[in-house]
Amino acid sequence: MAGSSSSRQRRTGPWWEPYLYLLPGLIVFTLFVALPVIAAIGLSTTGWNGVSWDTATFVGADNFVRAFEEPRFWTALWHNLILIPYFVILPTILGLAPAALVHQMKLRGAGIFQAGLFLPYIMPGVLIGVVWRWMLNPVFGPVNTVLKDWGFDPPTWLADFSWALPTIGFIGAWAAYGFCYVVFVAGIQKIPTDLYDAARLDGANGWQEFMTVTLPGLRREIAVVLSVNLINALRAFDVVKATTDGGPGDSTSVLALFMMNTLDSNQAGYAISIAIVLSVVTLVLSLAMLKLFGDADD
Amino acid sequence: MIKRGLAYTFLVVGCLIAIIPFLITTLASLKTMPEIVQNVLALPESPNWGTYREAWTQGRFSRFFFNSTVVAIAVVIPSVLFSAMTGYAFARFRFRGSNALFAYLLIGLVVPLQAMVVPLFYLLREVNLLDSLWALILPQIALSMSFGTLLMRQAFASVPKDIVEASVLDGANSWQVLWQVMFPLSRPLIGTLGLLFFIWTWNEFLLPLVVNIDPTYHTLPVGILYFQQRWTSNMPLIAAGATIIFLPLILIFLIFQKQLIRGLTEGALKG
Repeated sequence: MAGSSSSRQRRTGPWWEPYLYLLPGLIVFTLFVALPVIAAIGLSTTGWNGVSWDTATFVGADNFVRAFEEPRFWTALWHNLILIPYFVILPTILGLAPAALVHQMKLRGAGIFQAGLFLPYIMPGVLIGVVWRWMLNPVFGPVNTVLKDWGFDPPTWLADFSWALPTIGFIGAWAAYGFCYVVFVAGIQKIPTDLYDAARLDGANGWQEFMTVTLPGLRREIAVVLSVNLINALRAFDVVKATTDGGPGDSTSVLALFMMNTLDSNQAGYAISIAIVLSVVTLVLSLAMLKLFGDADD
Repeated sequence: MIKRGLAYTFLVVGCLIAIIPFLITTLASLKTMPEIVQNVLALPESPNWGTYREAWTQGRFSRFFFNSTVVAIAVVIPSVLFSAMTGYAFARFRFRGSNALFAYLLIGLVVPLQAMVVPLFYLLREVNLLDSLWALILPQIALSMSFGTLLMRQAFASVPKDIVEASVLDGANSWQVLWQVMFPLSRPLIGTLGLLFFIWTWNEFLLPLVVNIDPTYHTLPVGILYFQQRWTSNMPLIAAGATIIFLPLILIFLIFQKQLIRGLTEGALKG
């Protein structure tokens, strides 16, 4: 390799040259990301009320203990977990099935559907919430109007204690299935065609082909889609804020919302602790997900 | 043949379910409230454009739109330039602490905004930046650095060495190599990166919700939330507000569709 000559030429600049390139990015990053992260870890161990620094006294793990003793914390966390099948599994299946079908039948012109399917994924969560809140309005919303026309007796969706959370779940699934589909379509194209030829020679039918070739071939994509969706389920905030704001009652409170409400009631240290729990839960579960699906084929 | 038709039906239905809510929302924005109550799916007698004027002026959507645009531009340009510089430093130089600094810059991919947003609020309060567009611009640039550095390092590392060496022999210094050789060569990827930064900034909700209380500095996502709370029963107005937000996004999406889809799916694969 021309390594020696190129490295000599690199030395023409002073030693501090690379640091100069890093400087602007590093300064902004340190001030507005790293510093808040460090402060978050520090402040989570204080009883700070967010108003006066006098209250920022060390309380150890009290905030965390308090969270774990508070039923509303567990309710919120439980709601995040309930959202997982809707946010994670449902859109993955809804994306995988058509992607596999399109590939297996070699459908022409399937590409034009990608844009439409993908559209919800680029929309802000709040907007999705606002749009669905009116779509699901029990009195004049289009969904119930149509359902009533067809002779059904639809629930009030977001206003109903037992329906509100699943409804948010369906909205999350709606926002993600197109994204899953697109990722899977791209992934299937990377699976070597001779694998399919071999499977067909062995007399595999469509379902067997899917199970033995497509599914293993998509392992990485499935791992990624699952963990992206999982992160969305655990961090869910925008859609919930715009649709129910946690209600009716506490029936749709999620961790991020619980944290924000704690913040509003002058308990900054406590709110930060909840945010840290949320970060750790997200990190652990998504790493576990990646490990479960991603590493197995290496 | 039947199976094929079934597969197409699958796709068409999936596509319609994804698009229809937006279509119906825009339709509702052109109707009057009685028309919506009477038949939500029917076309309006004549399109009621006045609702948009109302949302734009009384609903202050002109202000929110202005803020969102200014913030997006003020975030995307420096984010792309700074990412190019950090990416270049890691791709082209060997230096003490490079691994540690690279890992440090990637913190942003691991820690969610929720964990930083509270300290960020008090930090911005200390420096008197709350209730300003700076409170959105500066943290958003910082949040862009992790993904930007990762992507640009990869992009620059894959630029063929010969091209770089040739320009060095021609007497280009490292600054010129970056902006006159590497940057133009990586333009497609840089375009995608800029688009992603734009969408992320345009859609950001938690940050503006926390740091800006004064509605003068709200962006569109926060604007529509308060708007919805204030005009709960005025459906056409809310629908018009929603349309004002998603129409530019749909336009950008249609223009840069391929780049965006690829960027977002590959971005997810990397993250």
